Amino acid sequence: MKILLQIGIVFLVCLVGEWISAVLPFAFPGSVIAMILLFLLLLCKVLKVEHIEQKASFVLNNMAFFFIPAGVGMMEYFDVLGTYLVPFLVICTVSTVLTFAVTAWTVTGVMRLQTWILSRKEKQNGKLD
Amino acid sequence: MENWIDILTKTPLFGITLTIFVYAFFVWLQKKLRSPLLNPLMWTVAAVISILLLCRVPLENYELGGDIIGMFLSPATAVLAVSIYNQLATLKKNLIPVVAGCLAGAVTSIGSVIVMSKLFGLDKAMQNALTPKSVTTPIAMAVSEQLGGIVPITVAAVVVTGIIGCVAAPLMIRVFFVKEPVAAGVAIGACSHALGTTKAIELSETHGAMSGIAIGLSGIITVLICLFLQ
Repeated sequence: MKILLQIGIVFLVCLVGEWISAVLPFAFPGSVIAMILLFLLLLCKVLKVEHIEQKASFVLNNMAFFFIPAGVGMMEYFDVLGTYLVPFLVICTVSTVLTFAVTAWTVTGVMRLQTWILSRKEKQNGKLD
Repeated sequence: MENWIDILTKTPLFGITLTIFVYAFFVWLQKKLRSPLLNPLMWTVAAVISILLLCRVPLENYELGGDIIGMFLSPATAVLAVSIYNQLATLKKNLIPVVAGCLAGAVTSIGSVIVMSKLFGLDKAMQNALTPKSVTTPIAMAVSEQLGGIVPITVAAVVVTGIIGCVAAPLMIRVFFVKEPVAAGVAIGACSHALGTTKAIELSETHGAMSGIAIGLSGIITVLICLFLQ
């Protein structure tokens, strides 16, 4: 019963996310809206992590599984993909690796910059004291 | 014969059962052999497609069950909020780097696709279909449609990109010397959305939470950039 209720809570939040997505004037997925909603509910302490813990860890631990049907659905487009196979694969691979590298280095760089600025401020404050 | 297979597979239980057992087999195999190339998701997709083609099972029959599994994608994305909430302190401390990373990632992804599409001489519909490939499926589909791209190609590109990110993430972390879990997590989410995030979750909760945030942020930024591309 406990797990059933947890599933109910998460599905309810997703349902509200779908509703909001349907009335928005631009395209934004209900699942991401549901993620933001659920985060806000946790932040405002309306929901506690314990309320959805088991359901959350079940879904998170098996997340890859839920993507299988989407991947299998690709077979419908094999003939369209066939004509563009080489550029398609090259573009997907190169762009994914580039995006990873640029993002990771940007985050690392800005993190270092932030610590550097903070430490300088602290030093200045130290001098003033 | 065809008829016979159609009768046996025309139930949601067929797709669900097939997916669970094939996936369970590859998870077991990966645990046994411990190779990053044995990504269970990638091999399960390949194996299920092969089984359907070999046994001439219509895709519609598989999707009776497949759609039920796919329905859990939305709750699966939503509960990433729990990981993000658990990592709130890390997020607060690194908010600026995370946002900056997602912005840089979205620009790189879109820019590199446009440049390479021009190099390969792809037509506009194909280029627009590939442009949003690094963001989560629902956003990518919407953006592609808006730009006038071929939507099924977008779906395929999103899945292929996700699988590349999922399989290559541990290797890329080493090759590009990414030491901070926050940076690695954001990068995984920014380059390969929720599919890559499945790998990030396995690495640690920090990786998973940051990757989850990057899905949402990169999605929003990509939607905004593509508004100007039209």
